[in-house]
Order: sequence, then structure tokens, then C-alpha cells
Amino acid sequence: MSPDPTHPPSPYSTIADKMTVDIASLLAYAAATVGYGDTVVVADATLEVRAGEVVGLVGPNGAGKSTLLRAVTGDADLLGGTLSLAGADSASLSAVQRARLVGVVPQQVTAAFSVETREFVTMGRHPHLARFAVPGARDLEVVERAMRLTDTLHLAEKPTDELSGGDLQRLALAQALAQEPRLLLLDEPTSHLDLNHRLQVLDLVRDLARDEGIGVLAVFHDLDLAARYSDRIAVVAAGTVAPAQTPARAITTATVREVFGVRAVVGVDPVTGTVSVTPVLRDGAVAPVARGRVLVIGGSGCGSQLMRRLVLEGWDVVAGALNAGDADQALAEALGVGYALIPPFAPMDADAVSHVAGLAASVLAIAVSDVPFGHGNVDNLRIVAERAESGTPVVLLGDIEGRDYTDGVAGQLWARARAAGAHQAPDVDGALRLLESADRE
Amino acid sequence: MLSLGLFAAMVAGVALGAVSVAPGEVLGALLRAVTGAASGLSDTLIVGVRLPRVVLAALVGAALAGAGTLYQALFRNPLADPYILGVSSGAGLGAMIAFVATASATMLRFGVVPLAAFAGAMLTMLLVVRLASTRGRLDPTSLLLAGVALSYTLAAVTSFLMVVSRAQMSAIVYWMMGGFSQASWPYIAMIAPMFVLGVILPLLSTRELNLMLLGDERAGHLGLSVERFKLLMLASASLMTAAAVAVAGLIGFVGLMVPHMVRLVLGPDHRRLLPASLIAGAIVLVLADLVARTIIAPIEIPVGIVTAVLGGPFFIWLLVRGERRR
Repeated sequence: MSPDPTHPPSPYSTIADKMTVDIASLLAYAAATVGYGDTVVVADATLEVRAGEVVGLVGPNGAGKSTLLRAVTGDADLLGGTLSLAGADSASLSAVQRARLVGVVPQQVTAAFSVETREFVTMGRHPHLARFAVPGARDLEVVERAMRLTDTLHLAEKPTDELSGGDLQRLALAQALAQEPRLLLLDEPTSHLDLNHRLQVLDLVRDLARDEGIGVLAVFHDLDLAARYSDRIAVVAAGTVAPAQTPARAITTATVREVFGVRAVVGVDPVTGTVSVTPVLRDGAVAPVARGRVLVIGGSGCGSQLMRRLVLEGWDVVAGALNAGDADQALAEALGVGYALIPPFAPMDADAVSHVAGLAASVLAIAVSDVPFGHGNVDNLRIVAERAESGTPVVLLGDIEGRDYTDGVAGQLWARARAAGAHQAPDVDGALRLLESADRE
Repeated sequence: MLSLGLFAAMVAGVALGAVSVAPGEVLGALLRAVTGAASGLSDTLIVGVRLPRVVLAALVGAALAGAGTLYQALFRNPLADPYILGVSSGAGLGAMIAFVATASATMLRFGVVPLAAFAGAMLTMLLVVRLASTRGRLDPTSLLLAGVALSYTLAAVTSFLMVVSRAQMSAIVYWMMGGFSQASWPYIAMIAPMFVLGVILPLLSTRELNLMLLGDERAGHLGLSVERFKLLMLASASLMTAAAVAVAGLIGFVGLMVPHMVRLVLGPDHRRLLPASLIAGAIVLVLADLVARTIIAPIEIPVGIVTAVLGGPFFIWLLVRGERRR
């Protein structure tokens, strides 16, 4: 949001001036335990939101993200530790004082009775209005600006019960902005929004933080959005809050698997330059049967489908030599599959060859993906041919034709393997069936 | 416009009856009463009998509609009203106990019945709130359930009291069905302060009542001390309910329907809704009482029957019209 001469950023003329305020720390949980009544939801949380930063909360459903937010507004109970708002003990603030500091956008917005939209947003001025005052010119200006920023001005005359969930969500944000808060609490603020409005709302929130020094604590379900819009991210899981870190440190293959039970490729989106998470499989979806160990020869992403399917069906998967940064290597990391690592674009060296040979000797079966073979990786195929000759069941995907870039070396090895009894499968499903029968024997 | 309607309804209420008087004569009599020059039988009828009756009906109507508006706002439920929440039954039982206990002391009754009604209303409200609260929070659904359950229990106790005090049964039955046949200036003096005390705080809190429409949590986010505000409003509503029940017994429909009707016409903004409901409640009850004592005059039928018979269909008509508009 660029500075707007007609609507300058609102001066913080409220309670902030009357209290000794620690500008840096807008919200601080110190060893805070929150919950409802006697039930502890999150224990011993320490987290700080400073002026001008967006802090994201991620974690599984029911982990306590919302409860952490709700404790700030008194909707959940603080059962231990301290919770301070702009340097003051949050319990010492009156409802009005708190409403001048903190704006909330709840997960679910409802209007039981129909109110005109502009009136709905104007309700956000309540904490700033004297008891019998009617909203004045400045109040209306703040409301107008909040509606313009949230792209809701065109809804101004509509009754709230005729609006979509997405419109209501943006109106709730407008209402919160009308409070001129110094801290925004967002509980999945974009859950009902379309792609365009999702980015628009989050752009707006980030700009408010950067340009006006508002502190933001936001619950995200979408990890990519969390990484893209948060300065720091705290992972909430099993009733504890991990220290807030940069998105790249907070969201890793290991945390995603540990916290969500999902194996995911975590990389950097080449366009946005922010952390990007591609979920591969749920731990819960892995077949409960324990099959034997299988070696997958892949590379350049050719082995990915095979590896994923084999892991899902209960195989103990290991992989041949993979170049660092290769798509198959990222997936092997995500799946927790063992493999021989070689540098980017480098050929297999003696270490890699002996590593793969060792893996090949330990498996029940070998699956060769439809990866092209060049001089850098043909050693994989040599090992496969040798294993086939010593009796290890081998499944070859597709045909060697058109992917032999070794002047026939790969073709000869392929033929050796076939002669030793290696099966050929037309596709991944066929390969899986062949491996299953090998496993049964 | 509503105020004019109320004035017209009150003039009509005074003018019409078993003996009808011209509207001009009504105004003349009022003028003479104010200037202290009252004379004649018609003046006595107008100022001493008809006028207090109409004023009382207006007060009771406003009180019930006001209480209903508050309950509906606090619980965000158009079904909430003094009866469903058990407050009326509580007030009724309180009044009934006082009624039976002061059987031989008519004058004492004036002071004790409304106070007992308020005590009954307030105790019931607090009990219902307590039953419906978990960890200091009110749950709207449990509140209605607790109210209904308690309402039945209190009604049973009231019926039992009625049966054991046979001597006064017919008087009690008439009182319970609701009516203004006993109306007199002392009655008005008795409940007017209760009504004013009950209505003043809500009238000054219409903006806060609007916040309640967003839900308790949201209202809290926007700076309202929700629990305290609710209790203040519930006390106000109980006061108004008690005032109504103490003099007029149990009159249904007004507290539930009037706010709903006004909302269908004016929308949910309490800055308009609450004052309009008060006036509309007054008009409805003045007219209903007028019908009750004229339709088969000189026999009076309980006004509660009239409100139910007229109100039900009118409410349905409003609902149907509201649906078609969408």
C-alpha cells in the first residue's frame, strides 16, 4: 500500500499515548499456558510479535493455534505464565482498551441479523467512540479507507446476510482495520477467499505491517502462503510452540513429516523465491503390510513415481545414485529413502558405485525406471545386470531404445539383464505387479 | 409517526367502550382534568376509569416489547422472550405468592405484589443464567433450554398454589390470563418507576446492543465487556417484565412478536428498533385491550386471548411477506 496523501496513516492517538508502551513488543507470551477452564491446550508458550512484522502460526488441526490467539482477547483462558499486550499485562486491560490495540479477524464470520455492510464496518469504531457519540467525519473516513483497502466499497449498501463467505471475511478484516489496531490477529484469514482475494488480503496485511508498523499474528493452513507472507513462523504441535524462525528454517521436510505426518518435498519456489511445500504422501496412507527392500534406479525425476508408489505399498525403498538437486533426490529426501548422493551433474565416482553395489546386494528386488542412460549413470545399470545374473529379481520399466546415450554400452547391459531373467514392464503399474509377485516368492 | 399512532390509539382507547365518548370530548375532559376543572360523570369515566386503563395498557405493552427486544438481542434468537426464558413465570409465581399471602390486605397488595414479581423474575433469571453458564460464560442454547424447563416447573408450582387457595381461584385465574380490568392510577404509580428504571439503561445502550448481534466474542473484540453488559441488560429486562406481570398477569405474544414485527419493517438496528418496539408494544396492547372490552361488550374477554388471536395471523402475514421480498 503506497502512502496516500488524502488518507494519511492514522496516528496512534489512543491508549498507546496514555500508557508506557514498549513499541517493539506488541504481543508477548512468556511461558504462557492457555486453554479452557482446567483443560490445557498449549503449555509453556513463548512467542513475541514486534511492531512491523508478520508472525505465522502453522500446525495441525487442534494443535492450539486458534487457542493461542483467543487467549489474547480473553476468549480462551490464560492458565499460567504471562501474556502482555504492548507492554501491559493483558488481563489488566479493559475491553475497550484492548479493542483499541488489537483487531481480530475470526475464522468464521457470521451476522445473525442482517446489517448494512457499511454499518457493519462502522461497528469497528466502537472502541473509539464516546458513550453517546455518533461516528464523526474522521470515523467515517477511517471506515471508508478500511473498505477501500479490503476491496469492499462496492458492497457498502448491501445487507450482510446476502454476502458470500469470502466477502464477509474481507468485511471482518475491514471491521478490524476500522479499529485502527496496532496488532492484528488473523485466524486463517483467507480460508474462504478466491485466489485473487487471498493474495490481495495477504499483500494488504504485509503492507500494513511494513508501512504502518502494525504487528500481525496469523494462523495459516497453507504452508506456502505462511512462508511467503511471514517474517517468522512458529510451529504449533501437540500443545507446544516451537521458537519462531525464518520460514526456511521453520518449514523443512523433517518438520512437515514430524508435525503433519506428511512426507513432502520442501524446496524454494523459483518464482517467488520463498519456501514451497509439495506434499508427496501421508504416513497414514502407507500400506500396513511390510514388504521387502527394493532398489530403484532413477534420476532426473524418472524414478519419482516408482519411489512414491513403492513407499505407499509398504516397500522399504532405497535408490541408486542421484545427483544433488535432482527431482528424484528431493523426493528421496522427502520420503526418507536411502540413496547414494553424487554432486550436481557429476558422473558416478568409485564411492558412489560401491555404495550402490552395496545397496543392490541388500535388496529383495530391483526396479529400473525409464531414466536415460549416459556415461555418468550407466554404472547403475552395470550393477543391475550383475545382480540379475546372481539371481536378484529385476524389473525394467519400458524399453532401452531411445535412451541409450552410451554408444551401446547401456543396450548391452540391458540385454545381459534380460538374458538373466529380468522382467520388462510397460508402465509403473505393471512394474509394481511384477515386484509384488517377486515379494510373494 | 409511531408516536402519533400511539396518541391516536390512546384517544380511541379512552373514547370507545361500553359507553362511547366522542374523541373531542376525550381531549376536552383531559384538558379539564389538567386545569383542575373536572366535572360530570363523563369526566369521571374518562379520567378515572378509561384513561388509567389505557395508560396502563400502554406501559405494559411497552415493557413487554422492550423486554422481548432485549432478550432477542442478547441471545440472538427471535424465539427469546420473557416467557420462554421463564422470567414471566418467575414474576408470576412471585406475584402469586404475594397475592395469596396478602389475601386480606388489599392495600398491602399494591406494594408487595410488584416487588415480589420483580424478586421472582430476577431470581428466575439468575437461576437460568447460572444453569446455562459454564465457566462464567453464557451459552445461548442452554439458556433457552434452562428457561423453558424452569418455566414449566414454576408454572406447575403456580397451578398448585392456585388449587390450594380455592377462595381466590377465580380472581387468580382472571389475573393470570392477563387483563387491565383492575386498572387505576395507583397501579400506574406503582409500576411506572419500575418501567422507567428498566428501560433507561437499554435506551442508552443501543449501540452496544447492535454489537451483540455480531455474537458475544465479536462484541468483546470490538470493546464490549460482554458478560457485565448482558447481566445489566437482563436485569433491565427482568424489571420491565416484572412491572408488566405484576399488574396485568401473563399476557403472551407482545414480548415475542412485537420486536420481531418491528424488525421486519425497520431492520435490526437497535437505535431505531428499541424505541420503535416500545411504542409499537404500547399501541398493540392499547388496541388489544380496546378489542377485549368492546367486542362482546359489556362482557370483557382477557386481553391475552385477543393478542394471541390477532397477533398470530398478523405475524404469519409478515413472515410470508418477508419471504416473498427476498
